[in-house]
Amino acid sequence: MDKGLQYERRTKPVAPGGPGPGDDGDGGPARPKVERPDTRDLMRRMRRVDPNQARRYRQRTGE
Amino acid sequence: MRRLFGLETEYGITIDGVDKVDVVEESMQLIRCYQRGDFVPLWDYQLENPRRDERGFEVENLLNDADEKVHVQRDRKRKIPFVELKSDLIIYNGARFYNDHTHPEFSTGECLGLFELVAQDKAGERVVDICARRRTEMLDMGTVRMYKNNTDFEGHSYGCHENYLMDRAVPFERILAGLLPFFATRQIYCGAGKVGVEREDRAPIYQLSQRAEFFEVIASVDTMHKRPVVNTRDEPHADATRYRRLHVIVGDANMSEYVTALKVGATALVIDLIEADCLPDYRLENPIAAMKNIARDQTHEWLVEVEGAGNRLVPAVEIQDAFLTLARREFAGRDQETDWVLSAWDDVLEKLRRDPMDLVGTCDWVTKKWLIDRFCDEENLAWDNPDDLFWMQSQDLEYSNVDRESGLYYLLESQGYMVRLVGDDEIAAAMSEPPSGTRAYFRGRSLEKFGEHVSSINWDRIVFKNNGRQHAVDMKSLVDAERVRHYNDVLDQAETLDAFLQALHKVERSLKEAGDG
Repeated sequence: MDKGLQYERRTKPVAPGGPGPGDDGDGGPARPKVERPDTRDLMRRMRRVDPNQARRYRQRTGE
Repeated sequence: MRRLFGLETEYGITIDGVDKVDVVEESMQLIRCYQRGDFVPLWDYQLENPRRDERGFEVENLLNDADEKVHVQRDRKRKIPFVELKSDLIIYNGARFYNDHTHPEFSTGECLGLFELVAQDKAGERVVDICARRRTEMLDMGTVRMYKNNTDFEGHSYGCHENYLMDRAVPFERILAGLLPFFATRQIYCGAGKVGVEREDRAPIYQLSQRAEFFEVIASVDTMHKRPVVNTRDEPHADATRYRRLHVIVGDANMSEYVTALKVGATALVIDLIEADCLPDYRLENPIAAMKNIARDQTHEWLVEVEGAGNRLVPAVEIQDAFLTLARREFAGRDQETDWVLSAWDDVLEKLRRDPMDLVGTCDWVTKKWLIDRFCDEENLAWDNPDDLFWMQSQDLEYSNVDRESGLYYLLESQGYMVRLVGDDEIAAAMSEPPSGTRAYFRGRSLEKFGEHVSSINWDRIVFKNNGRQHAVDMKSLVDAERVRHYNDVLDQAETLDAFLQALHKVERSLKEAGDG
């Protein structure tokens, strides 16, 4: 058996989001400090999604 | 938290450019991509019995749908032995990774910490993603894509199950009384969102939940056909006289770390309330209809019919708030994670009351809806145009793509827009490191240290072979924190298998003499 898998790609650090373990913030969990995502990138990526991807996607019943 | 829990996720699989993917073959092969060496079957199936019901009986057969029966007939012709087909692997992090009903399934090891569970669940995504990359290279056909979702939009659903260890002494009626109103309504924050309806009217609408429309009965042992809101499978994987394993099948698979933590954390607190016999006084007139209606409600009022004088309609948010209020009263200040859950639960309910769209970047269903709505505006897509609806469903699917370079969820995450609870370094570590302080550590480290001597393994037993003799370690009692600490210490300190087995024998004997065995 492998000695666990090492992730084979560089990861990009992201800004910390809401409180995690150890955070005793007094308010509710906060959203990351980004007002709205860059919709140009998102829309560009979404346009590249094959319109028939879901039509072809057929699985068997699982649990 | 004060409870053992874990997650099992069945993934969907497809290959670019292939119209009819052989999901039996691909699911098996994908799992084998985890290993560089030959597959050695170790999983011990003798201890499994999914037909045993918590209510004190065993059914002769489980219900599978007609579709499944046809598949089973066809698969027999493949002549692939059962253990080869299942391709069960146990990973050093204590997880089980195998082919369950043609879906690669990653079952995390048992966790005591909520954020530790999130890291283990995300580690499962990473493992699946790496195996997909390796399979893509091997096939040289098209990209293998893996989806952490629950449907193919054509009526075939697969699960993300939660497991919680709980007190066997709690009457089943009380479990139902607590879980039915909670499960029917919790989708308002932990639903994964879905484009379309797959049954009955096939309405072209957005639903809160991927799974809600697949539930047909209140309680049963089945999981694939006539699915129950409360599953009664009785496999505690612990001392059956003291514990049940609550096997929750109503939930969606979540991409959001925040929602995974809140879903499991809030459910664990509700189980605490059930055990304490401290529940809000809500009985739903029809929990199954309530679950489906909430998922489909486009007004986001989510009114539920509750029993009482002249039946009344109560918002799902109010029912959730009643559970939260009791949990806060009983458990606030108990530990950091409990306080995090109480705070997150409160915050989410407040935003759902005010404007659910404030939860973009937090809750999956809201984030996905926001994406789909933006895309429909940009491309002038119409919900009543079948071709447009397919494109929207394709976007829905891509939200759950676990490839961090192409999945839509991960595009949002890379822009810093999704709430994170665990770091990428913690997730990477969780791919090979078991959760601390539980028997998952014992399972994973035993394999890592003495793997060549392990002859079989299951959630609650490991059999070592040593000098021609078998030594079975019963792990049913390793749900007790103090006991598992002894076992894990022995394992950490042993340098050879002989020394390990001798030290383990001493510990077992001393615990028995102390009346704890």
